[in-house]
Amino acid sequence: MLRGLKLPKHKNMSLGKDILIYDKPKYVYIPLAIYNNLECTPMVKKGDYVYVGDVIGKRNDHFKLPICSSISGEVIGIEKRYHSSGHEVDCIKIKNDFKNKVLKQELITDITDYSKTDFISLIQTSGVVGMSGTDFPTYIKYNTNKKLNTLLINGTECEPYITSDYILLLNYIKEICIGIHAILGIMKINKAIIAIKKGHPELKKIILDEIDSYSCIELKEVSDYYPIGWEKVLIRKALHKKYDKLPIDIGVIVNNVSTIYAIYQVLKNKHCITDRIITITGDKIKKPTNVLVKIGTPISEVIEFIGGYKRGKDLKLIAGGPMTGNSIKVDNLVVSANLNGVLVRENDSDTFDDQCMRCGKCIDVCPVKICPALVKDHIDDINELKKLRVDRCIECGLCSYICPAKIELREYVKKGKSKVGD
Amino acid sequence: MKEFATNHGPHIKDDNTTSKMMRNLFIALFPIIIFSYIKNGLLPYLDNNISFINSLKPLLMVLIGGFTCTLVEIFWAKINKKEKIREYISKSYPIFPGIFLALILPLNTPYYVIIIGAIFTTFFGKLIFGGFGHNIFNPAGVGRLFIILSYYSVITGSGGYLNGSELDAVSSATPLTNASTNFIGNYSTLVKPFGTLWDFFFGFIPGSLGETSALLCIIGLIFLLIKKVIPWRIPIIYIGTVFIITFIIGMSNNLGIWYPLFHILSGGLMFGAIFMATDPVTSPTTPSGQAFYALGLGFLTVVFRFLSAYPEGVLTSILTMNFLVIIIDKIFSRGRYDRKKLLIPFIILLLLIGSITYYISTKDKAKIPDDSSDFKVNDISRENNNTIYNVTYKGYHGNIEANITFIDNKVISIDITKQNENVWQSITDNNYLNKIISNQSNLEKLDAISGATYTSDYLKEMVDNTIKYHEGDNDE
Repeated sequence: MLRGLKLPKHKNMSLGKDILIYDKPKYVYIPLAIYNNLECTPMVKKGDYVYVGDVIGKRNDHFKLPICSSISGEVIGIEKRYHSSGHEVDCIKIKNDFKNKVLKQELITDITDYSKTDFISLIQTSGVVGMSGTDFPTYIKYNTNKKLNTLLINGTECEPYITSDYILLLNYIKEICIGIHAILGIMKINKAIIAIKKGHPELKKIILDEIDSYSCIELKEVSDYYPIGWEKVLIRKALHKKYDKLPIDIGVIVNNVSTIYAIYQVLKNKHCITDRIITITGDKIKKPTNVLVKIGTPISEVIEFIGGYKRGKDLKLIAGGPMTGNSIKVDNLVVSANLNGVLVRENDSDTFDDQCMRCGKCIDVCPVKICPALVKDHIDDINELKKLRVDRCIECGLCSYICPAKIELREYVKKGKSKVGD
Repeated sequence: MKEFATNHGPHIKDDNTTSKMMRNLFIALFPIIIFSYIKNGLLPYLDNNISFINSLKPLLMVLIGGFTCTLVEIFWAKINKKEKIREYISKSYPIFPGIFLALILPLNTPYYVIIIGAIFTTFFGKLIFGGFGHNIFNPAGVGRLFIILSYYSVITGSGGYLNGSELDAVSSATPLTNASTNFIGNYSTLVKPFGTLWDFFFGFIPGSLGETSALLCIIGLIFLLIKKVIPWRIPIIYIGTVFIITFIIGMSNNLGIWYPLFHILSGGLMFGAIFMATDPVTSPTTPSGQAFYALGLGFLTVVFRFLSAYPEGVLTSILTMNFLVIIIDKIFSRGRYDRKKLLIPFIILLLLIGSITYYISTKDKAKIPDDSSDFKVNDISRENNNTIYNVTYKGYHGNIEANITFIDNKVISIDITKQNENVWQSITDNNYLNKIISNQSNLEKLDAISGATYTSDYLKEMVDNTIKYHEGDNDE
C-alpha cells in the first residue's frame, strides 16, 4: 500500500476567475537553465535580432534540448535572475519589439499528419519539457520502440494552492483533446486516460462533454491525496498497474495536461511554446488568479499587473507549489516553462529546534517507504543509508510536512541521497 | 525589487507539533489523575476513613513527581552550563516522567520514596542517555522498578496499594496478587473479592494510583488517536494479544468470556498499553515494528503473569521490549522494502505465543476448582438426640461430602466421607475440623490455613450452611 496524506487544498482562492493575460513585457529574460541543469550555452550575442521561436541557447549535456526565444526583438545581453530552481542563473535579456515576428509562419491545419520520427524530432527541437515542475525532456518519453498501450494524462495537480492545470483543462479541453487524439494516432497508442481528482463536478462535466466524441479518450477520477500526481501512484490508482523502473516498461506514457497542451501548440505552430498559464496565489497576494504569461517575464511585473502584494513584513515567495517549490530571495524570478505557480505567504516556518522523539510519523507517511528519522540518525553512515534506500526518495516533502518537531527531514534524505549517489 | 525570506520547503507544515502532542497527552491523563483523587482520596474521606490531609495524597504524589523531575532537569542543565535553561526545559518536557511515575506507584508510597524515585527516574531513566528523545527505557518504568526493588517492604508496610476504604473491605492487595497463587481460578475467586467486572471497568479496584480505571484509559486512547499523538497499533495489538491468549487459556479450562476480560482489565494493562508502551521515544518507529513490539508485549505480559513470581508484568514487559527497540527498528526498516524479511521474526514470535498458550492451558488444568456444586443436603437421619446430615459442598478439586452430627443446635462431629483436595494434609495437620467445631458460633473469625485457603474456606462454608439448614429445620 502506497501511503500519502490528504493536505489542506487552499485552491479556491485562485479559482473561479478567468485567465488574465499579460503578454506585453518590455523585456524578457530567458533563463539559460533547464530544471537543475544550469550549464547551458548562449547561442546569440548582444545586438542580435531574434524571432519568436529562434534557438538562443542550448543545453550542454546528453539531452539535446534547445532554449528558444518567446518574443521577437533585440538581444540586450546576459543578466542574472532567479529561476524556479531557487538559483540565480544567467538569462538572455531580450527587448520586446511587440511584433511577435516569426521567421517562417506555418500554421498546420491537420496536426495528425506527422510521422512518428517527425513528431519526436519536432518536440525535441521545440524544447518541450514537463511543464509541472520537473522540466524532464518530453521527447525522451516518446523516443522508444516499446509497444505503447496507454497515454495517461495527469490532471490531478496534487500540490495545494496551484490551479493552473485545472484552469487549463477548464478552458482548453478542446485543444487538449485534439492534441491527445493526434498523439494517439502518431504514436499508435490505443487509448488515453485523463486523470483528475474526485470532487470537481464542474470540470468532470466539461471533460465528459468533450471526450464524448472521442472513443479513445477516457476520464478517470482518482482520490484526492498527496502525492497522487506522482507517476507511480497515479498509474497504480488510475490503471491498477505496477511497474519497476519506468512507466514505459508497462507501455504507459504519463504526461501532464499542460505538457499535452504544449505539444498541441508545437504541432500546430511548428515552433516552441512562448507562453504558459501560471497561478499567482497565496494569502499575501491581493487578487490571486491565473495568468497567461510569456516565458521569461519577471514575476514582479506579473504580480503588479494583477494587483500587487498585500502588506506584510516577513513574506515568503515560493516558485511552484508549497510542497516541492523553492523559496526565492527576490521577486526578479523569471517565468520558465516548468513554473506552474507562484505562492506568496507569510513566513511561518519558525526555526524550530526540537528534538526528534522518534514518533515515526515521517516513516508512516513516506510514499516510498524510506525511514527519514533513521536516515537523520545515520546521516554519516553511507552503508546504512544505502540499506535505508535513500535513493528512492522522490522529494515529495511529506516527511518534513508531518514532523511535529519540524525537523527538515527532506533535506536530510536529499543529503543522504547525494552521498549515496557519489 | 522586493526581498523575501528563504528557507527549505515544504512551505506548509502540519499543525501538529511536539508541544501540542505533549499538551494533549496531559489532557488525556488529567481525568485519570482526578479519578485517582476521587477514588483514593475523596471517597475514603467522605466515608470518614481518612483525614482531609491524607485525602490529598494522590494529587500531591503527582505534583511531587512532576516537580521533582523538573528540578532535577533544571539542576542538570545548570551544572552542564546549558545556555538557555528556560528553552531547554520547555523542550525537554520534564514533568511527564514524574507524573507517570506517580500514577504507576501504589497509593501508600511514602513521599520521600517518590522523591528519591523521581530523581532516579529523571537521572537514570533519561538524562544519562542524553535527555529527551535519547532514552532507551521508559523513564517512569525505570523509576518504578528501582522503587519496587529498594522500597517494596516500606510500601507494603504502610499499606501498599489499598486506600482508606479498601483496607477493611479487601483481603488481598490487587486482583493480580490475589490471583497469583492460582491464575486459573473461577469467577468467585478472581473477580468476586473485588466486586464485579464493572468495578474493574470503572476502576473501583485496588491498584496503582492511575491504572485502575479502564474506562478513562479507553477515553484517553480515543482522544490520543483522534489527536494523532500515538499510533493505534501498539495499544490495540498489545491488549488484543493478551485478550486472545487468555481467551484461549480460559476456553480450554471451561472459563467464560469474563476470564480474558478480567485479564485485560487488571494489572494496569490498559494504562500501560495506552500510556506507557506508546511512549514514542522508547517504542519502534516503523509501523510493522510497532506491531511486532506490541505482540511481544502481549506475549511477555502473559508469561510474567502466569509463570513468574511477579504477576504485575506490564511494566516489566515494557522495559524488556524497550531494550529490543533498536534491533526492531533495524530489522523492520529493511523489511519495508522486503516483506519476506519480516516473516521470520513474526513467525518466531507467533510460535512462541502459540506454545506458551498451549503450555499454560494444559498445565493448570487439574487445579480448576469445581464451581458447579452448591450446598446440598443428601440425607438426614435422627438417632436419639443426634441429627446427622449427609451433605455435599464444593471443594477445590471436586465435591466434598461429609456427615455432620448435631446434638441440639451444636455440631459435635464432622466426618468427611469424600474429598479430593490436594492440600488435605495441612487440614488434618492443623486439626482444622476440630477448630471449626470449637469456633462454630463464630466461623467468620476463624482464619483459613495459609496454603489451603480455598479448602479451609469451603469447609467453613459447608459447616455454616449445614448449621443454617439445621436451624431452619428446627424452626418448622
